[in-house]
Amino acid sequence: MRGASAVVGVGESAYYRWGEAPDTEFQLACAAIRRAVADAGLELTDVDGLVSYMEPRNDPLRLSAALDTGPLAFTAQTFGGGGNGAGAAVTLADAAVTAGYAGCVVVFRALAQGQFGRFGVGRSETRVGGNAAFTAPYGLKTPAHVTALQTAAYMHDHGVGQDSLAEVALASYAHAQRNPRAVAYGEPLTREMYHASRWIAEPFHLYDCCRETDGAAAIVVVAADRARDCPHVPVSIVAGAHGLERRGGVAAFCDPDFPTAHYGHVAEQLWTRAGVSPRDVGVAQFYENFTGPVLMAIAEMGFCEPDGLDEFVGGGNLQWPHGGLPLNTSGGNLAEAYVHGMGNVVEAVRQNRGESTCQVEDVELSLLVSGPGYAPGSAVLFGRM
Amino acid sequence: MREIVEAGGLPLLTPVNEAWFTSGEVAIQCCASCTTLQHPPEEVCHACGGTEFEIRVLRPRGTVVSHTVVHHAPSPALAAFVPYTIVLVSLDDAPHIRVVGNIDGPVSIGMRVAAHWEEFPTDEGPTIRLIQWHRMA
Repeated sequence: MRGASAVVGVGESAYYRWGEAPDTEFQLACAAIRRAVADAGLELTDVDGLVSYMEPRNDPLRLSAALDTGPLAFTAQTFGGGGNGAGAAVTLADAAVTAGYAGCVVVFRALAQGQFGRFGVGRSETRVGGNAAFTAPYGLKTPAHVTALQTAAYMHDHGVGQDSLAEVALASYAHAQRNPRAVAYGEPLTREMYHASRWIAEPFHLYDCCRETDGAAAIVVVAADRARDCPHVPVSIVAGAHGLERRGGVAAFCDPDFPTAHYGHVAEQLWTRAGVSPRDVGVAQFYENFTGPVLMAIAEMGFCEPDGLDEFVGGGNLQWPHGGLPLNTSGGNLAEAYVHGMGNVVEAVRQNRGESTCQVEDVELSLLVSGPGYAPGSAVLFGRM
Repeated sequence: MREIVEAGGLPLLTPVNEAWFTSGEVAIQCCASCTTLQHPPEEVCHACGGTEFEIRVLRPRGTVVSHTVVHHAPSPALAAFVPYTIVLVSLDDAPHIRVVGNIDGPVSIGMRVAAHWEEFPTDEGPTIRLIQWHRMA
């Protein structure tokens, strides 16, 4: 339902390098949700829906009791593991509010890698089951390896250079230098540092890889008519999309469209639903677990042809304030914090509110793209009411 | 490359994947009803919904479609073995089927490769035979 719901509150915990948070993941979740609800000018007793993604830790039963929310009317979580679910979780909240199943839905993600294990460290296992049986025995143990294979093939097929990966990292680190919340605040990155940094898994250098973070972030979604009473500029959920291409779920790199970021079908739905095109977007947040899938998704979302990526992202086009498509303006998952892309959601909303530390002028439409590289993908277009 | 497999973890066998992991051949699941070849093996034929399968043995050769050199050890068990190379190989007889493995020496996309198998006896069941790749002579 185009623009029938709106984001009225955003909040996050402080962000920490993994293992350095003084709080547990559950405490971080509670802190972020409290802040988002306060930011919306609402009471916790107004909250009647809780939505998250990736995993069932910090479940709504425990949260609603600990936060003393109102009676719950809606809870949901998306399928498919990873940051790819952030936009989908927002669309679930939009659907619930628009359909009248709930009046005030909080979308959140909390992630304390110090408490629950680092994503950059594969499990030490003697036997491996499921789809991982086809990959893990070869030392293919982490998302870095999965996306490295996707990215290497894509770069080869479409003539994408290493400097285009660097452009994504350089944009995130440049933007983080203006954002005091960012874990990489005060740690600028140069192109020379990027190329000189150690390899993690080729073609990924250290700076192609996201942070490992302890933190939480949340937003509050209500119906558009109710949003006008809230203290901040309400941000309309213009359109959301979620899903994957036909047979995109075939495992172990045997999906027919490999190498893909799984965003072709998401893009088709999003632009059709919103009735606009990539040219109308003023600023974009693309979840970056690694830089490579971001490039693939930029092309699949329709911002350029795959073979034109070097030209499109080159020359600082992704950097605020002069680039044509300022990308990840808070520093994103590379340089602000890795809360599975929930920070990208908050930043996309802030751009429409006019509150970013790298504020793009006069933003009509602010795009969120969640989790390229892993299916199903999701995306949300935020806009002015 | 045995050390990578021993550190990475051996596959858990199921009735569906056992032929692939123990036969020492490119043993691809073939639907008994519609003869569609599919990989990884599944409990249901993606083409016709059939649940009875045979095994079709394909030639052990293919072309590299992607590769990565892993420099940062993803687990303590693998720390002694970095850097190592992971390849993704498209099979000559079924190009839509891509197979992961390790390879020694320089590698590039488009390189022609052939398969061999590494054997890992297990206590509780059949010997596991894992496909690996080398540059085609």
